[in-house]
Amino acid sequence: MTDLEDQCGQVCTELHAAWAIAKKDIRIYYLKPNMIVSGMLFPLFMFLAFAVGRPADPTVMIPGLIAITILFSASSIEPVSIPIERRMKTFDRLLSAPISLHTVVLGESMSGFLYSLGIAFVPLIAGILLFQTPVIGIAPLVAGLLLTSFCFATMGTLFAAYPTESPGDIMSMLNLVRLPLIFVSGIFIPLDQIPQIGHFITYLSPLTYGNDLIHAAFAGDTHFNPIVDIVMLLFFILVFQLVANRLYKKFNE
Amino acid sequence: MYAIEALSLSKRFGNIQALSGVDFTVNEGETFGFLGPNGAGKTTTIRILTGISAPTEGTARIFGRDIVRDTIAARRQMGIVHETSNIYTDLSAWQNLMFTAELYNVSRKDREKRGSDLLELFGLSERRDDKTNGFSKGMKRRLTLAMGLINHPRLLFLDEPTSGLDVQSNLIIRDVIRELNKTGVTVFLTTHNIEEANLACDRVAIINRGHIAAIDSPERLKHTIRSVQSIEVAFEPVSLVRVDDLEQIPRVSEVRKQGDKFRLITEDPPGVLDGVMEYAKDHHIRVISVNTLGPSLEDVFIRLTGLDIRTKGVKTVD
Repeated sequence: MTDLEDQCGQVCTELHAAWAIAKKDIRIYYLKPNMIVSGMLFPLFMFLAFAVGRPADPTVMIPGLIAITILFSASSIEPVSIPIERRMKTFDRLLSAPISLHTVVLGESMSGFLYSLGIAFVPLIAGILLFQTPVIGIAPLVAGLLLTSFCFATMGTLFAAYPTESPGDIMSMLNLVRLPLIFVSGIFIPLDQIPQIGHFITYLSPLTYGNDLIHAAFAGDTHFNPIVDIVMLLFFILVFQLVANRLYKKFNE
Repeated sequence: MYAIEALSLSKRFGNIQALSGVDFTVNEGETFGFLGPNGAGKTTTIRILTGISAPTEGTARIFGRDIVRDTIAARRQMGIVHETSNIYTDLSAWQNLMFTAELYNVSRKDREKRGSDLLELFGLSERRDDKTNGFSKGMKRRLTLAMGLINHPRLLFLDEPTSGLDVQSNLIIRDVIRELNKTGVTVFLTTHNIEEANLACDRVAIINRGHIAAIDSPERLKHTIRSVQSIEVAFEPVSLVRVDDLEQIPRVSEVRKQGDKFRLITEDPPGVLDGVMEYAKDHHIRVISVNTLGPSLEDVFIRLTGLDIRTKGVKTVD
């Protein structure tokens, strides 16, 4: 066997293990009550609280609702599952298995990614059927859903690295980041209406690029170039993955 | 080739030196006991040997593979049974086994066959599709052991395998460990049950305060403290016997009441026996049984770790 074949074999093995971790999370955590509250109901009520009664264009409102839903659902699985698994000591199984730490982070993120993709279809279909808001760009929609979901799933895994056995500890820290993101990412206030001074924070938010990309699927225009949105989301995914890997290594010493 | 080579392992957490120059080897096919009081460095050593934690200094090799530089290849050789029965209680026994097999890259055909065999071996076949949250402590422990064996490991780490279990689970697990050893699997056993280590292990290491205090076969370790011999005496009626009186018998260094019997520690069992008979006669008590005992592995453990856990709390004897 050549080195290349050997490496391909190892990559397949790692991907298979990541998928096994994701399947395990799907079976155990998807229907947990705190998952339903933080992943489904919380984004819906957040959106209703800020959008109802305001004259909003559905091509702005629906992408915003999809983006918020993805933010909360994708980043909610790991902050619940990993502290519980630390308490049950099942997380040690993953740490001592013959797989890399990157695979553990990837597998955990995959379950949040798939969960949020499924949930995102609810506002998507509601937008199309109830608000007669057609999708005019399939490519930005697919890219937006996939990349935004994976980005926030990885962010959830990153926060879950904090060495606690209580999901509440991580959720508190995570909400300190998630809630401000909603207001600085062009969901309720269009990006071109945000004061110049706020642009720096806007550009640091991955939700800005996810929302912009999904907005392109409904309105046809974007604040940034879609390529910029895609590159920035990929950049955030890479950073979250690398930092998460480093933190899991550090905290498990 | 050694199954495990630990070479000058040290581990520091901030100002705390958890391990200091720990050296030992475990031969292939050996059952190796790793004993020590709480906080001695057992868990830190296991975390290093299984690649969860990296040593501050030193090297560990599993079947020749460096656990830090070649972690994945080294882990493929091992099965790990953690101290806690860390199973997924929302999954069935079968799903737990299959998940572990997938983590260890066991092929579908092999894992299904192996999974069925292990459930049968551990008496869990009838509960295969039940969620494990309804399992007893013993059943969970047996499933944990089955999960540790799903990848046909050459080396099995067993952390407190029988602690607090029912008799049936205890017997099954001990039997499986014996059978594994016969098939050449190396077993690294951590236990607080010193008698279990005495019966199961070819060699034991005793670790204390981050240092290896002794490594040898249980029998040779006992020989090192021949001075700790004893006689075990049963009296009738036992209510008339006082420990303070027995301690006054010449050449008795310590008396321990063990159930309805008394264990008199001495360097001179025959001499003390005369004193016991005299004591019984003077107090109108009958001696109904007498046994002379050599030092136990527990005595070795106590001597080497400086702990006496059987008397009032914990006290230093050295």
